Amino acid sequence: MELTGLGATQLLTVLGIASAIAVVLYLLRLRRRRVFVPFVRLWDTVLSEQKSTRLFSKLKRWLSLLVALCIIALLSFALGDPRFAGAHQDGRTMVVLMDTSASMQATDVAPSRLHAAIKQVQRLIRRLGPADRMLIARFDAAATPLSPLTGDVAVLERALRGLNASDVPANLAGGVHLALNVLSETSRPEIVIASDGQLQHAHSVRERIKRSKVRVSWIRVGSKSENLGITSFGVRRYPLDKSQVEALIEIWNPTAKERSVEITLFGDGKPIDVQTLQVRPGERLRRFFGDLSGIDRTLEARLRAADRGNDHLAVDNRAYATLSQRRRARVLAVTEGNLYLQAALLLDEYLDVEEIAPADYPNLEKQDGLKRFDVVLFDNWVPRSAPSRPALYLNPSPSSKSDASAFRLFSVRGETVDPYFAKLKSKHPILRWTALRDVNIARAHQVVPEPGDDVIGGDQGTPLIVSGERDSQPMVAFTFDIRQSDLPLRVAWPLLLLNTIDFFVEDSSDDRSSLRTGETWRIPVSAEATRAKLVPPRGDSRFVPVQRGHAVHVGTQTGIYSLRTKRDHAVFAANLGDSAESDIRPVETLRVDGMRAGAVSSGRPGLRKEIWLYLVFAALCILIVEWFTYHRRHTV
Amino acid sequence: MLSWLRKTRNRQALADDSGELFDENFQRRLESLVIASRRAYRGRARAERRSKKSGSGIEFADHRVYTPGDDFRYLDWNVYRRTGRLLVRLFEEEEDLSVYILLDTSQSMGSDNARKLNYAKRVAAALAYVALAHLDRVSILTFSDRMQHRLPPTRGKNRVFKVFDFLRPIDSSGPTDLAASLKTFAAQNKRRGVAILISDLYDPAGFDAGINTLRYARFEPCVIQTFDADAARPDLHGDAMLVDTETGEERMVTVTPQLLDRYERAHVAYRHEIGRFCAEKQVSYFDMPIHVPVEDAVLSLLRRGAFLI
Repeated sequence: MELTGLGATQLLTVLGIASAIAVVLYLLRLRRRRVFVPFVRLWDTVLSEQKSTRLFSKLKRWLSLLVALCIIALLSFALGDPRFAGAHQDGRTMVVLMDTSASMQATDVAPSRLHAAIKQVQRLIRRLGPADRMLIARFDAAATPLSPLTGDVAVLERALRGLNASDVPANLAGGVHLALNVLSETSRPEIVIASDGQLQHAHSVRERIKRSKVRVSWIRVGSKSENLGITSFGVRRYPLDKSQVEALIEIWNPTAKERSVEITLFGDGKPIDVQTLQVRPGERLRRFFGDLSGIDRTLEARLRAADRGNDHLAVDNRAYATLSQRRRARVLAVTEGNLYLQAALLLDEYLDVEEIAPADYPNLEKQDGLKRFDVVLFDNWVPRSAPSRPALYLNPSPSSKSDASAFRLFSVRGETVDPYFAKLKSKHPILRWTALRDVNIARAHQVVPEPGDDVIGGDQGTPLIVSGERDSQPMVAFTFDIRQSDLPLRVAWPLLLLNTIDFFVEDSSDDRSSLRTGETWRIPVSAEATRAKLVPPRGDSRFVPVQRGHAVHVGTQTGIYSLRTKRDHAVFAANLGDSAESDIRPVETLRVDGMRAGAVSSGRPGLRKEIWLYLVFAALCILIVEWFTYHRRHTV
Repeated sequence: MLSWLRKTRNRQALADDSGELFDENFQRRLESLVIASRRAYRGRARAERRSKKSGSGIEFADHRVYTPGDDFRYLDWNVYRRTGRLLVRLFEEEEDLSVYILLDTSQSMGSDNARKLNYAKRVAAALAYVALAHLDRVSILTFSDRMQHRLPPTRGKNRVFKVFDFLRPIDSSGPTDLAASLKTFAAQNKRRGVAILISDLYDPAGFDAGINTLRYARFEPCVIQTFDADAARPDLHGDAMLVDTETGEERMVTVTPQLLDRYERAHVAYRHEIGRFCAEKQVSYFDMPIHVPVEDAVLSLLRRGAFLI
């Protein structure tokens, strides 16, 4: 027996003080109150009969004191919250990780895998031993504790109420790390994973599990594997014809049977295309939907089994995408005349191009005429100072006709003959959809990058495409003359030029047609905003914080979101996009970082371990008996 | 709960009565008593009405209900044969009557806010008024362990205010000693007459010696025992130390409902013992619980013959 409440010394103090008070009160009670009566001798005849019971009365008084002291002792002992000595040493300490990822929405086990897991965990809670303690946590992309570490059945069952699966992939590592932190230095530690086994493997936890001697158990749910899902969905505008879009969809059939599916595309909520496809067992079928027109903002793909087979998981049957807003860009080209440049600018009907000679530029700048433009192109000419607009410099060379003082924007060391694109940052938005490695260039200037400049492509020591800022305005510079290369003869040239203009005009986030659930999203908003109102696909809207011009949110639902600040309104899409979640085939063995999860250990059922409840109950019973006998005049 | 309310109301009524003992209302009720007491007698002085004394007169006056101790010779057997009721024949006797009202003012009479003493004062005043109204010679004496105050013999209805003034300031004090007090009374008053003893008879030495003293001195004693019904079953429970208000004697008790029942029975037995004694000695005895209105108690007393024998 050990005390988990007040210590022994404190208990003895409390007991001593309370007992002393009780004895004093008892002695005061023995000092009988004086009652004046007119003729006391009348009582003598009555009292003579009572003398025979005086000894018993004295005994009753002592018994009364004893009862009071008993009650005080019981209540004092209860304050110590005594426990059986073995309660903590022998009891299990369990952390139950409830998998609430998307695959737990599968309905192969009615009503869903998550509900089946909850039922099994409820049975586990009811079988807890008197010394066992348990913590329940949910995990999908992140792990969240739902209860404290307790043996209270009511608290644990309450934690399971209202638990729903989200639309995000499971990340077991987060849950295991949480469990290991909770279980450090506890008795008989055990992690119980209630899951269908479709988990991203937890890496680098094996050593911690072994070191902590934690037992890993698995409550298995799921029985069937019939599912078809959209595992990838993307959409983009054609770079050279932004009125039309193309969509890519990937359909996965993880089952062992060939399945027939019907794919319906909805543009801005209206059906625009329907196709029926045959998907072989285990096949990931990719299909392009090209030349889609009439879509302004959103595109949705819906999958439906066209045969008689089942599809137990609904969350991956829909995929969403948003298109970047088309915007007309105004471009000022400062050139003596460049046919390749002019031809490339003509390809995008959303560009308003105005052309002036370098000699007219200073006047235009003086008259504050640059405000009318979104981008300024300098072809073989560099102004004295950087314009107040984003600028593209083509061949910023000293051999151009501008005076030498203009070269304070760039410092050129010399010239490189026959350079080629040896290094390319292919993920840079300027280089999207381009192939530049075999471009032939006669010569290029050896421009020295300024601090903060980013060399997007170049030869050894010779930057060919540089991105950066001049006078706080973004700029991109091609350090070679395109007319002294075969770049204008390639498809990459207009793409490169239009990508650069888009890079200046549009935000990079628009490049993504959808986001993935479970990740931290950073949606660009106006820099002045401090918070943004997010309207999710389901449920109530909420405010999300804005950090450095980006609204930050961890999305857990698939669908179309709306984000609004005082100045901006953005619409974006989120998809599950994880084929592991679509694969709902039952798993025979769950391995955590290579370690096999076993069956849940058995506990010892017993009575409640809080003894203080019984002590208080005993004190109450004695009080009731005392009260009853008092009013029946047995003890007075 | 109801009994508690009733007790509270009774106590409040009695407490209200103790405000002014002899108010106008009380006096009006006394007047009605006089009318109700239709007894005539003649004394040495000229009386307006005649009194009755059984056995010594020659003219039949009235019947009254037989009480134990009455002389069998005066039983009206004819009435008994007709009605089955035992009635005593009363005869007129011409006599001059002295009425002595002996009021116990010991400490026991003053317990519980002097309710018993106030009640006894009113009874004394009522009896005095009736006697004065019949031109009897009335004297009031108070005693505890000795004779205390004395209202000299007086006569005439208009002297009733003197009676009130005498009674009003009297307070309770001292222990009870009936024998000693009444012995002094008998020695001091040679003129025999009716001696009305108003007391709770809580005398540690016993009540009988005092009454016998009156009998032996040839007074006609009439014993009126006042008692508080609430005191017969006190509101006590648990452990207590009982202290006698007169002697200071103490008794340790643990009061239980059973004990209270026994005490109540002992109280009744004590009254019965007094009644039995008086009957044996042919002494009129009346017990008066103080919750009964004074005029009702006195009227009942007069109708039962009382001291007008």
